[in-house]
Amino acid sequence: MSSPAGTVRRSATSGTAADERRPLRSRRRLSRRVHWSLYLFPLPLLVPYAVFFAIPAIQSFQYAVTDWDGLSPTFNYVGFDNFRRIFTADDLFRNALFNNLEFMLVVLVLQTALSLVLALLLAKQSRAGIALRALFFFPTILSSVSVAFIWRFIYDPTIGLANTLLGDVGLHGLQGPFLGGPNAIIFVGLAQVWAHTGQLMVVYIAGLHQIPQDVKEAAIVDGANRWQRFRYITWSLIAPATAIVMAYTVLQSFRAFDLILGLDQIPPRSTMDILSTRIYTSFAGSEFGYATAESIVFMVIIAIVVWLQRRLVRMTQAGG
Amino acid sequence: MNPTSGDNSLNRRQALRLLGVAGAGALAAACAGPGSGSGSGQSTTAAASTTGSVGGKISFAHWRGEDREVFDKIIKDFTAKHAGTSVRQDISPSQDYQRMALQQIKGGSSGDVFTAFRGAQFTDMSKAGIFVPFDGKPVVKNYKADFIEPGQSDGKQLGFPYQLVFNMPLCNADLLEKAGNDGSPPKDWDSYLGLLDKLKGLGVVALLFPGGSPADYNQLMHSMVMNNAPSDDMFTKIESGEYKCTDDWFITTLKQYQQLSAYFQPNATGTSAEAGQQMLATGKAAMMVTGSYYVTVVRKLGAKFPLNVLAPITVSADKVKYVGIHNTTFILGVNSAGKNQATAAAFVDYLSDPTVAGVYANGTAQHVTVENVDYTDPDLNALSPWLKRKTLLAPLFQFQNLDIRGAVQNAALEVVSGKSPEQAAEEAQRVVDQKRA
Repeated sequence: MSSPAGTVRRSATSGTAADERRPLRSRRRLSRRVHWSLYLFPLPLLVPYAVFFAIPAIQSFQYAVTDWDGLSPTFNYVGFDNFRRIFTADDLFRNALFNNLEFMLVVLVLQTALSLVLALLLAKQSRAGIALRALFFFPTILSSVSVAFIWRFIYDPTIGLANTLLGDVGLHGLQGPFLGGPNAIIFVGLAQVWAHTGQLMVVYIAGLHQIPQDVKEAAIVDGANRWQRFRYITWSLIAPATAIVMAYTVLQSFRAFDLILGLDQIPPRSTMDILSTRIYTSFAGSEFGYATAESIVFMVIIAIVVWLQRRLVRMTQAGG
Repeated sequence: MNPTSGDNSLNRRQALRLLGVAGAGALAAACAGPGSGSGSGQSTTAAASTTGSVGGKISFAHWRGEDREVFDKIIKDFTAKHAGTSVRQDISPSQDYQRMALQQIKGGSSGDVFTAFRGAQFTDMSKAGIFVPFDGKPVVKNYKADFIEPGQSDGKQLGFPYQLVFNMPLCNADLLEKAGNDGSPPKDWDSYLGLLDKLKGLGVVALLFPGGSPADYNQLMHSMVMNNAPSDDMFTKIESGEYKCTDDWFITTLKQYQQLSAYFQPNATGTSAEAGQQMLATGKAAMMVTGSYYVTVVRKLGAKFPLNVLAPITVSADKVKYVGIHNTTFILGVNSAGKNQATAAAFVDYLSDPTVAGVYANGTAQHVTVENVDYTDPDLNALSPWLKRKTLLAPLFQFQNLDIRGAVQNAALEVVSGKSPEQAAEEAQRVVDQKRA
């Protein structure tokens, strides 16, 4: 009886005269033949993948064209009606989409810029630098719910820190309801930036450490000033880090569900509703088919935004 | 012979074919979808098998973590009375409970005795057939008939709403007395506004609006519509399309919100419940939009003054139908998928005993729907006159659709934020129309 491993070894080495007379393609095919039992080895990973990911993913396309409520044993096929409703007759979805894009822009710009600035300031391996990195990284280890509670108390207009500080320095005109106002999503974005900038600073620091020292020195010898060195060397050579930071930030912006949940409720007020909370509300409201259609649209939107953002990064870095 | 060319080997093409067949099988299985079941979950309730010997383990699923200790005490007494019995509390946070409870209870893995929120969750649970009806059981007589109606479906008593709360602004009775109110409901809208004026004159926030806490600020909607609406099932009718947010009665309600906002604290739409509780407890606010369920919290924050609840009366004296709002929730049920229904039913019987219900009520500072309960807690006693007043069952829970409910509630918040009542009503109605389509 041959073991699978032995079978493979023999197949690779058993070059008889008859084998040598076969055409090369046929010989290659023979050499690729492996014992059937080898195909069992990926099963421990493939089966859970199929059961928990592939099959539900396929099913989601089926549910998206039904009116299933998530509980009933029966449902009706409604064709593309769920998608038609999403695009033409759902103000709440449209509002959530605009809120989400606004949230993403605020977080993307501020988080990318701040994490890069902090990385540039703290890239040097000094004791103070390392201590400050740890300090800025600290909010990352907090759960989103904890972050939400901290910022709820900061933003509370009656007893919160923000209005108190603004009042103390005489900026009464800037005091406001924050999360209770029309620009609530921007303030949610600031909380998100506070929580994740440290994490992305670390990605940038790793990217900065990858830049060869001799390139920087050559630029100095060539007379490049600080800004030119950043613009034409640092910015270009940290492209991979920037791509990671921006892609991560975009995805994170679309998945800020728990932060919103901690700051408000389900469904959140219209000024804080984003796509993930909207989809969750549909699920919670027993509109399973509709929620699945929303999820598919959500997935496509994320794909488009990530693709656009990667193109943009490539253009700005190539244009340098 | 090449050892790899035997019957038990596959080439890449064969392997791909095999994977293809397996994938097609998976796809077919996936497309079987939710309709492939055997029909479980129909809206018929299972036959009760709640008779038999009491014993063994049961699970009690609910969302009231703050009541754990009181329930522990009750369970200890129950298990002492029924030897060989144990009751495990399976407590989830209320939001998780709203979302997950039905699936877990339906599966029978927890919740031999379970609870349901009044409204959409109770409707979903009753449709799923997980309640064992109590019709014909002597325990039904322990409850005040009016209060347990929300536990009925299709004429069957599926569960017992256990808690009774008053969803009206919580008041500092001392400050109200200074403003000339003896705790009685105001006669009409003008006298209510007059009271607010006097409270404002005392240098305190007359009516604190916790706009950062939807669970609290939405409670005001109950009182605002109780007399304005043409019928008591006003929100059922908004959801069905019979009434509209642009109807006069709803616009009038929103205009009254606009009037009330003059008595709220600055930046009211962002104030959290915690800040509101602090202000009420420290005497900086005379009333807070919330419900009687915050009595314990305000006491823990150091409030020494007598507490009361008081709803706005939004109409003239001759049109007053109700003077307040109540809600009955925490609907106790026996799980039809539970394996120990006799013990589960015995536990519900035990909780329904007036003495035991009294332990729960006084231990948690909440009224209960069980009759002949002796309320020894001073705050419960102070609020007891409301048990006899004409109050409406909190109407917002008539909504079955979360988005429609959210749109109606949001209209009020938008008005408090400064939007015109007409525009807020139109926007809300647009969402209602879209969700009804």
